[in-house]
Amino acid sequence: MKKLAVAVAAVFAATAHTGSAFAQEKAIRITGFGAKSGVVRSFGINSEAAMLAAADVINKQGGVKLADGSKAKIVVDFLDDRCNAEEGISVLRRIYGTDAVVAVGPTCSNVAEPLFGILQKKVDDKGDSGLQMPVFTDVAIKVGLARISEWAFRNVPNETTMYSSLFYWLKTKYPNAQTVFGGVEEDFAHSRASWYVVMKDRAEANGYKVLGNSKWLLNDTNFATQVREMKNANADIVAISAHPFTTCGVLKEMQRQGVKPKVLVGLTSSSSLETLQGCAKQAEGMIIPTSFAPVTKEGKAAAASTAKFKGAADLHSMAAWENMFILKQVIESERISGDKSQLQADRRKIRDGLAKLRETKGLMGVTKRTEDREADKPYLFVQATKGEWKVLHNPL
Amino acid sequence: MHKLNLAYAAASIGAAYAGLLILQLAAGAPPWAVFLCAFLGGGIIGWLVYVTCFHFIPLSNPLAPLMSTVGMLLLIDEIIVHVTAGMPQNYPAMFDDVMLRVGEFTLRGDLLLVAGVSVVCMIALLALLYRTRLGLATRAVSQQAVAAQLCGIRVAQVNAMTFVITGVVGGIAGALIGASVGALSPLLTTPLTVKGLIVTVIGGLGSIPGAIIAGLLVGAFENVFQQFRGVTERDLYVMLLLFAFLIFRPSGLFKP
Amino acid sequence: MDFYYGLAQTVGIHTLIGLSAYVVLLTGQVTMAQAAFFAIGAYAAGMLTVLAGWPIVPALGAGAVCGAATACAVGFPALRVKGLMLVVATLAFGEGVRLFFFNFDYQVAKGEIKMGPLGGEGFRQIRYFQEHGWSTGEVMLFIWVFVGLAMAVLWWFDRSRYGAVLRAVGEDELAAQSVGVNLTAVKVSAMTVGGAVAGIGGGLYAHYTTHIEHANFNIMLATFAIAYPIVGGLKNVFGTLAAVIFVQAFLIEGLRFLGDWRNLLFGALIVAAMNLRPQGFLGGRRA
Repeated sequence: MKKLAVAVAAVFAATAHTGSAFAQEKAIRITGFGAKSGVVRSFGINSEAAMLAAADVINKQGGVKLADGSKAKIVVDFLDDRCNAEEGISVLRRIYGTDAVVAVGPTCSNVAEPLFGILQKKVDDKGDSGLQMPVFTDVAIKVGLARISEWAFRNVPNETTMYSSLFYWLKTKYPNAQTVFGGVEEDFAHSRASWYVVMKDRAEANGYKVLGNSKWLLNDTNFATQVREMKNANADIVAISAHPFTTCGVLKEMQRQGVKPKVLVGLTSSSSLETLQGCAKQAEGMIIPTSFAPVTKEGKAAAASTAKFKGAADLHSMAAWENMFILKQVIESERISGDKSQLQADRRKIRDGLAKLRETKGLMGVTKRTEDREADKPYLFVQATKGEWKVLHNPL
Repeated sequence: MHKLNLAYAAASIGAAYAGLLILQLAAGAPPWAVFLCAFLGGGIIGWLVYVTCFHFIPLSNPLAPLMSTVGMLLLIDEIIVHVTAGMPQNYPAMFDDVMLRVGEFTLRGDLLLVAGVSVVCMIALLALLYRTRLGLATRAVSQQAVAAQLCGIRVAQVNAMTFVITGVVGGIAGALIGASVGALSPLLTTPLTVKGLIVTVIGGLGSIPGAIIAGLLVGAFENVFQQFRGVTERDLYVMLLLFAFLIFRPSGLFKP
Repeated sequence: MDFYYGLAQTVGIHTLIGLSAYVVLLTGQVTMAQAAFFAIGAYAAGMLTVLAGWPIVPALGAGAVCGAATACAVGFPALRVKGLMLVVATLAFGEGVRLFFFNFDYQVAKGEIKMGPLGGEGFRQIRYFQEHGWSTGEVMLFIWVFVGLAMAVLWWFDRSRYGAVLRAVGEDELAAQSVGVNLTAVKVSAMTVGGAVAGIGGGLYAHYTTHIEHANFNIMLATFAIAYPIVGGLKNVFGTLAAVIFVQAFLIEGLRFLGDWRNLLFGALIVAAMNLRPQGFLGGRRA
């Protein structure tokens, strides 16, 4: 009898234990997507690593609190869209069909634009059959995309603000520099917009005379003509709006032709390892505004965690890290149910929560959020110094 | 038509990447060792392309080898992207700091090396084709495969050798491109494929001197139009040049 | 369910571009220009619905007409070249059209924003389907109506004398000519039909992705266009459909669980498919 009682008690204890374990296994799924193929593969790898690292930290701290007070852990998936518009749309529809409450991505601006286009433009517009899924972008940086849909949110640096500040600061630091000449990668959405809409505009607004610009294409390898134009213009500042591969090509040609401007300015995305690996010597002295450098305690910790998941910490992947923590905050403040039967309501709550945010906590400090769902991130200027991106000036 | 290989540019760049493998084994290897490794890599990749795309597919399906080479092109590109995570790889160069100044003009030393090596290559290929038994066999097979077989020439072996040799030449090209650009990236493949095809057609199918001269012609045209009409319209004019040749001189500069 | 409808939409549109290449391949012409006609249809239909407010079906029709007209114009000079030279010529034409759209600006102010193609930035906000409340399922059915039509027309060609003439030209031009077949009419008409089908496909593509730019219509798309009929086999239109399902549904979406290996397998499986079934899934011309 005693043995039976003990056995029954043991079984009860076991089931009670598994019962509470079941209650603890609630999960909120956040699915990232981006480019893990082609020349932009490293972006996808880094974003995925940052998301996994952030989820790991959140889960170790107990997870997120749901509406009913219970705790849930964050589960992260990552899908490859190969930087292709059709595949990006297919991936988002696939994510919509799972129990993911929000999607984080994409990497490529040329995917973001069509992707945001298929989302419902205005919430509660019954006549609009666009997809109703919140998308929180970490990397795609082409100016002005979140305006396309009220379900689209971005946590990318505002290039207009950064370059405005940069040119203003350059005016004070290099008062002899009066003229600017640009170099543009014409056939890539981001770099093209960044020159014409951002750099040129902001340089002129700060009193510089823009002498002109030379153009090249994304996979060009010969820049003799363009650099000769640069040489003839003989501007004090040369601003290169291009990605690392062609940036390095142009810089090497500038070295060959002996073009040495007073100041060299680069594109935000080029403040990465790729540029230094390709042409550290020629890029020496290049100044780029960026929204991440491991200077704060949180930034260094995030970089270390991401490295554990085999990713590098740069302004793009650290945006993904920040997104995870912002989403944790929104999940808790909007009281997400975590209940599969309330999935669409949860997604709407996350959208509304993101829309309500006026500021978020970033790795560099407080980030303001704008009316058109973009971010105004704190930034600093880094300079390529002896093969590393060293912080040159922190405007805050 | 049944021997159209669209994977040649990818094989060429792949061979250049293969050349970098020697740096994994011997960190301080000199540039010529890397180049040599690229040539060998090119030969091996050429042979692989032959085996996977041309050896087993019967001649009655002329389009299948073409599609198979497209598959190889995608495969080689993906292997490169996987191994390097898509990041450009620095390539050792020779004479990259040599600049010859002739009055107002400058000539890049490394590009002169490229030109020099191309000429040597052309002479070597012509010698191979016209002065060796292998060359004789190759020409025989390309003209009349059945008759060549009747004469005792082993067609499969000759075809394989042709692909190996062109693979080596492709490896040389890839290594030289890597050296003159200073870095290798998967971005290089597509423009090379397109321009290579255009140059082949303008030069005349099967003509080796035609290929060199057409290459120079297309390169000159590109730069001239880039100067006058800008980079966004540059390639349009190269296309127009091609169309002009197709209309007025369809067999190309030199008949083979 | 939305995902499957979306996948079916993609399969439908790719089948259209595959069919446009199929009809031209039947005559023995390897064309890399189908992406160009696709692009022309896309920009034309997009501009008509967005800038001129046309309803979708006439806009698609106009896209088809533009595609067909361009194809007809290309068909005549294409007669002069064969084999590799035709491949290169059509590839160059395709690139030329892409570069044209790279440089093409046509913006019209609608309210405070300017809409329309803007060169390198592309043509955004082609939101006819969303603005008119079409669900994903409805768009899918709409696309498949056109796919069905195209397949039916091409199937009927195959069963009729026209199809036999097309294949005869493809098999042996000299023999066909000696029997009295007008080579010019056959080849150019095949090109034109291909151009029309590609134009419709392009128009649908523009509306289902809502944003098009020159880079969408590159050599890869042109290569895929001929890959579908070759991998599927030229026996009949279902071969192309089978190949599109193989590539889009199986290779691209189905193999996602393989993670990174998916891309490596993509090229490898195409090589394998061509070695194992060189005449295509459904077989070649010899039925």
